[in-house]
Amino acid sequence: MDARSRHLLSRRIGVVQVLVLAGLAFLVCFYGWLQIVRHGEFEKQALSQAVKERALPAPRGIIFDRNGDPLADNRRALHLVIQREDLPADPTVVTDLATALGLDPAETARKIRSFRQAPKGRPLVLMENLDEGGIALAERVRARYPFLSVQVAPRRVYLGDDLAGHVMGYVSEVDDQMMAKDPGRYQLGEIVGRAGYEDSGDAKLKGVDGEKRVLVDQLGREVASLDRTDPKPGKSLYLTLDAGLQRTAKDAFGDEKGAAVVLDLRDGGVLAMYSSPGYDPNLFLDRLSQEMVDRYLRNPVRPMLNRATQGIYAPGSTWKLLMALAGLEHHVITPHTVFYCGGHKSFYGHDFRCDATHGSLDLIGAIAKSCDIYFYEVASRLDIDQIYETAAKYGLTVPTGIDLPSERASRVPSREWKRRVKKEKWYAGETISVGIGQGAVGLTPLAIARFYALLATQGKEFTPHLFFGFQDPKTGQREPEPAPPTRQVDTANPEWWGVLHEGMAHVVESGTAATNPFVRQVAKEVPFSGKTGTSQVTTFVDKAHYAQLAKHLKDNSLFAGYAPTDKPQIAFAVVVENAGFGSEAAAPIAAKLIQYWFVDRIKHPLPPPGGRVPDAFHLEPGEED
Amino acid sequence: MLRRLRAADGRLLLLILALLFMGTLTLYSAGRGTSQSNLWMKQTAWNAAGLLLMTLMASVDPTRLFRKSLLIYAVGILSLVAVLLIGHRIGGAKRWLAIGSQTFQPSELMKWVTLLFVAHRLGTRPMDRVEGRDLLGAAAIVVFPMLLVLKQPDLGMALSFTPILLLLPLMKGLRKRTLALMLVMLPVIGVVAWKKVLRPYQKDRVRIFLDPERDPQGKGYQITQSRIAIGAGGILGKGFTGGSQTQLNYLPVKTTDFVFAVWAEERGFLGVLIALGLYGALLLRLLEGARAAKTLAESYYCTGAAGIFAMHIFVNVGMVAGALPNKGIALPFFSYGGSSTLSVFLALGVVMGALHRARIR
Repeated sequence: MDARSRHLLSRRIGVVQVLVLAGLAFLVCFYGWLQIVRHGEFEKQALSQAVKERALPAPRGIIFDRNGDPLADNRRALHLVIQREDLPADPTVVTDLATALGLDPAETARKIRSFRQAPKGRPLVLMENLDEGGIALAERVRARYPFLSVQVAPRRVYLGDDLAGHVMGYVSEVDDQMMAKDPGRYQLGEIVGRAGYEDSGDAKLKGVDGEKRVLVDQLGREVASLDRTDPKPGKSLYLTLDAGLQRTAKDAFGDEKGAAVVLDLRDGGVLAMYSSPGYDPNLFLDRLSQEMVDRYLRNPVRPMLNRATQGIYAPGSTWKLLMALAGLEHHVITPHTVFYCGGHKSFYGHDFRCDATHGSLDLIGAIAKSCDIYFYEVASRLDIDQIYETAAKYGLTVPTGIDLPSERASRVPSREWKRRVKKEKWYAGETISVGIGQGAVGLTPLAIARFYALLATQGKEFTPHLFFGFQDPKTGQREPEPAPPTRQVDTANPEWWGVLHEGMAHVVESGTAATNPFVRQVAKEVPFSGKTGTSQVTTFVDKAHYAQLAKHLKDNSLFAGYAPTDKPQIAFAVVVENAGFGSEAAAPIAAKLIQYWFVDRIKHPLPPPGGRVPDAFHLEPGEED
Repeated sequence: MLRRLRAADGRLLLLILALLFMGTLTLYSAGRGTSQSNLWMKQTAWNAAGLLLMTLMASVDPTRLFRKSLLIYAVGILSLVAVLLIGHRIGGAKRWLAIGSQTFQPSELMKWVTLLFVAHRLGTRPMDRVEGRDLLGAAAIVVFPMLLVLKQPDLGMALSFTPILLLLPLMKGLRKRTLALMLVMLPVIGVVAWKKVLRPYQKDRVRIFLDPERDPQGKGYQITQSRIAIGAGGILGKGFTGGSQTQLNYLPVKTTDFVFAVWAEERGFLGVLIALGLYGALLLRLLEGARAAKTLAESYYCTGAAGIFAMHIFVNVGMVAGALPNKGIALPFFSYGGSSTLSVFLALGVVMGALHRARIR
């Protein structure tokens, strides 16, 4: 290379050197700007996309019966979920995804849209309670849509199946209506009690959800857990219900419709409450299928109705005890007043009939033989408002206050009631029908049971209740809570109780209930007292429906009372719809309940509900899911 | 053999080994926990083969290579034509030739071959006797393979041919008039390129470069995530395998085009300084070789090599930080890739040969 070339080259390479150094200097400045000046901003972005909050759903409290056998427990369930930040926006993705999972695309799109306002951390549940096939499908679809994840969550299981559906109720995701009715109370996607004790005891049973912060990768998969606040499980508690007695009631009803309530005379605790037909709350945990809606919610038989607290039945002759008290308190009869029953009698120009021609009867005989004429005579001497006043005094005009949602108040007519509801004045002739528990009178089986508990205890008015106390699910340690207070209702003359008790004892010994051999057989072992009733079907379900349903419009059969006769421990009411005389259907069911409670329970107790043990979900701290 | 090894330039070798060490660590971290977890081992094998090739090449007299450069260039052009005819297609681009199960990217080597040929052609004339005709001929030699590469299409690769053109003003010097003309022509070339040459996805990349946050989940995603990784690294970095952007896969194509963001996240600004410092030292050593070279052709070759390396480093490191448009271009010693690794070491071997002959230490 010649010297001139070398000289030229050297100068020009010098320029290249300067360019290279300038380029490097530019890069250093640019990186310094990103890594030093703007470091904080990028650090925050890196964290916010990698660290996510996830809700840890708290298991609900376990519900035990009075003997410590679980009625409602939790087990692990797997749900296919999408975290809120991963909700797909592209409608074709949503459609493909729904199709791949076998879901309705329009419904899925609606769900995703409405979930965008959901609180942080709570995922959208696409498919609930995956079974093995569901898990396999979910894993397959997840390969294509990695934003899907499978969440472990506690899920309710009702061990008795349809043993006490109406009492237990069920839980499910809060719906739009509930959200709208009580804004701010619920969070979207929250699991809440929707019926029965799950609803009324929701505050006790519900735990506090935990939360964890996790590292997620670019596909939204959890890579590591940073920290967590463990969920606080809801309080476990036990009810006054006895699963064995409940089973007896359910079995006794078979295919009949109606309700039975048994109350504990020590504190008003509900020992059994069965409404027939029953339902299995396990079927109501997920979104309801059309078939379920048709079968349960649109069924004219109304299986979801708790007939014990929401069914209004004409009490028929079980009402006669209230009429006796009304007559005594308003001094139109004494315990020794005798009326003559000629089989029929005319009041206000109408002919009223009795089942038989009883001849001369005093109050005890009239109760024992259930003479209608005697109580027509009592009613004809009373004003409807006097009857209402006595009914109000003995607690029949208000709801019982049981800790179950949507209890209906019984209906006892008065002048004011008729004016308000029917916009008409009261006719004295109407009072005569009320005398035998027909006409406008309508009581819930629970109200009847509470009235008979009051009769048995000489005026104790209980607040029927299901909640007994809290129970530690692991140690079984119990903390009973005080029962709701009782009220003493005093009559003008305590001797009257004796007369009424004698009348009710005669009903079983030799009166209207004694016609049934099974009733006689049980009464021999456990003497009990009560009153039969046979009432015409009234307004409980409208008549048009009934005409379609029932081929023959038989009367409702009722029996209410207490046992044992001497030192009463339980009171009960049984209503069997369209089953004829009280002694034919209702009294034998009551007898079965008495037989179980006082005889079989000790000798051969029924096995615990379901008899199967769930793999219980007791979240341990630090357990990874 | 030992004597042959002694031909390698010690300072260059040390710089290369330091950069390789950093690159291998980064590749290990980037592939960790993914399907590419053993990529660093594969790359190490390539590197080992490359180092061997380089030292062998260092002992070869460059003059012997220059003499055969026309033949080598012709074979290179044929291989590029072969790519267009029977090339292996990956993701919409035909860039690879398949030999058995192994794929090879001829364009990686071709830029060095082109450099070799151009350096040889121009090196035969003393500098003050170079004429415009020679420069036009040299430009044609560079532009022909560039067009073939653009056809694949591979804009990034075509771009890495352009430093060879830098040799031309080096030969002739730049007059102020020519400089002014170039400044006027630049926008014209830009508009023509935008309208006629660039494909829609390439235009998208330019648009995203201008405003990466406009479409953060779409095409701007890569740059946005890469900038987060770099920025989150701060001054000292997150430590080895300690970066969330890398380890949680937010960072895209992290073993090839965006591998430097992994380094920046883990080692911070300090690591970036060290890496750029090493690259700078390497570039300066190449230019030192250019100054000291025995022949003009060797000098041209060293300068061109420095230019090509600088292009790769500036475009890749700048692109990763969002300072330059998102262009797929490998970072020597960091990015995974067999063809590019072998090509880089071969090119460095030639430089080492020139340094050896110049006997500078």
